Amino acid sequence: MLSIKNLKASIEDGTQILKGINLEVKPGEVHAIMGPNGSGKSTLSKVIAGHPAYHVDGGSVELDGKNLLEMEINERANSGLFISTQYPTEIPGVNNVEFLKMALNSKRAFLGQPEMSDEDFKKLCEEKMDLLEMDARYRERGVNDGMSGGEKKRNEILQMAILDPKVSFLDETDSGLDIDALRIVANGINHIMSPEKAVILVTHYQRLLDYIKPTYVHVLRHGKIILSGGPELALKLEDQGYDWIEEA
Amino acid sequence: MSTTTSEFVQSLPTAEQAIVRLRELGMPRRNNELWSFFPVAKIPTPEFMNAAQEHSTSDGAVQKETDFAALLPIANQAHPMIREIVPGAAEMAMLKCNNDFGHTVLEIGKDAKVSLEILDNKVAHDIAAERFDINVGENADVEIFFANPACDLPLRFRHFNIHQAAGANVRFSSICKDTAIGRVSVECHLKGEGANFDYRSLHILDGEASQHSRLTIYHEAPRTTSTQLARNLLSGSARVSYDGSVIVGYDCTGVNSSQLVNTILLSEEASVSVKPVLKIYHDDVECTHGNTVGELDAEQMFYLVSRGIPKKAAQEMLMRSFAQETFLPLPDSPAKKRLMSSL
Repeated sequence: MLSIKNLKASIEDGTQILKGINLEVKPGEVHAIMGPNGSGKSTLSKVIAGHPAYHVDGGSVELDGKNLLEMEINERANSGLFISTQYPTEIPGVNNVEFLKMALNSKRAFLGQPEMSDEDFKKLCEEKMDLLEMDARYRERGVNDGMSGGEKKRNEILQMAILDPKVSFLDETDSGLDIDALRIVANGINHIMSPEKAVILVTHYQRLLDYIKPTYVHVLRHGKIILSGGPELALKLEDQGYDWIEEA
Repeated sequence: MSTTTSEFVQSLPTAEQAIVRLRELGMPRRNNELWSFFPVAKIPTPEFMNAAQEHSTSDGAVQKETDFAALLPIANQAHPMIREIVPGAAEMAMLKCNNDFGHTVLEIGKDAKVSLEILDNKVAHDIAAERFDINVGENADVEIFFANPACDLPLRFRHFNIHQAAGANVRFSSICKDTAIGRVSVECHLKGEGANFDYRSLHILDGEASQHSRLTIYHEAPRTTSTQLARNLLSGSARVSYDGSVIVGYDCTGVNSSQLVNTILLSEEASVSVKPVLKIYHDDVECTHGNTVGELDAEQMFYLVSRGIPKKAAQEMLMRSFAQETFLPLPDSPAKKRLMSSL
């Protein structure tokens, strides 16, 4: 499904942030990426999405055998990649629902499907908003405009639910969520997840992984995945931090 | 509707006075601060400017007139349309000038509610110059608006002379998509306590368009308020200038005034010039001004495109939102409906 091989990337001043990432994600898997601040976790998601602030120095990222790095940003999304950033951008004036509809129909056009009717879209939107226990105010607002951190994260998962991506890369989706919101968002992700899809979660804490059981847990440090393991690794990290890894 | 001979109407210049005054002022020059940014060479010299000089000089109220564009319609003998809107009336009106030069005088009675749309003049030849003298009575609520479609008239002037009594509220909103040269000038006199003037303009220009705004807001009474918001979306070699003055008089305590100009440049050749002027003769006031110039927000663009929306469509979404935000704070009204629907 998603195959990242020896991915290296740098920022404008030439500083290399990713120094050779290797990751294989298969359908039905949930991968958790953990690591200290500044290790390159957010950079990894942005590089895969095609953020213009990063330069790919080498390696490849393939989704179902197609090299994402050769695609335009929107083509990557329409091919089935969804990236949720740590701090979702606010876009005042662009209506949340209109944006969602435009995004969905852009994907459908890319896949050669007809536009979804207003009626069908309304139903889809209502269904997913119910799933995430979102009230009608979200429809009227600008994209992430004036939303609290938790509301933004919930809004991101709404987008994920509507766009129905093959692979979702969720960067610190649990940050800013209170206990109830964490449960709702996690339930939403579990509901969207299926044997044909995969999720990569970037998180600092075990609490999200209590709700979403990871298949694998990876530790990213200094731009490389330095350790991988099962769900028990996250528990150990929660308990002992990261220092023991270098000591090992 | 009736004609009126109020003090306000009597204070307006006659054609003869306007010609004399224009001869005194001479043709606009770039070294005249009213015309600093305007391509003055494009203004044709009226015949009366070249006629044999008379020895008379202007006097009285006409000496306060300093703007060539304000006097031009009167000097060209535009027949004034004078309307009185009686106190307490509620009126919606559309005004359309069907000559090269137009002059409209409105006397709006106290407590009246008026919605006034100014339609495009499509019959003018080389130049269109319109003047509006509007006297707004106590606590009247007035909206003045126009949404010009792309008009290729070579040169267009619109001048507004607005006087507001105590508690009068005027909302002035415009959208300009002209492709040629134009100038909108506004002189607003907040003469009564608590009067409020709200100005919002949006320019969406491309090609060689050159559009200029000149505002002077006189706070002549305590607790008067004014807001100016000008937004520009400029492509090609389009050029915009915004010359906005706020003058707060003596003893005008509690005045609140803000001016903000936001411009997005969508090409290397597009340009904007902004000149804020604040003349404040009282301490207890709050006056702000700001100016931003930039491109479309790169993070917002990335966000939209990363959700699968093609780049061009994402740009259009951001431009539309930038434009719509100009008028979102307006109350629901015919003006808001018309302006938003034209975007």
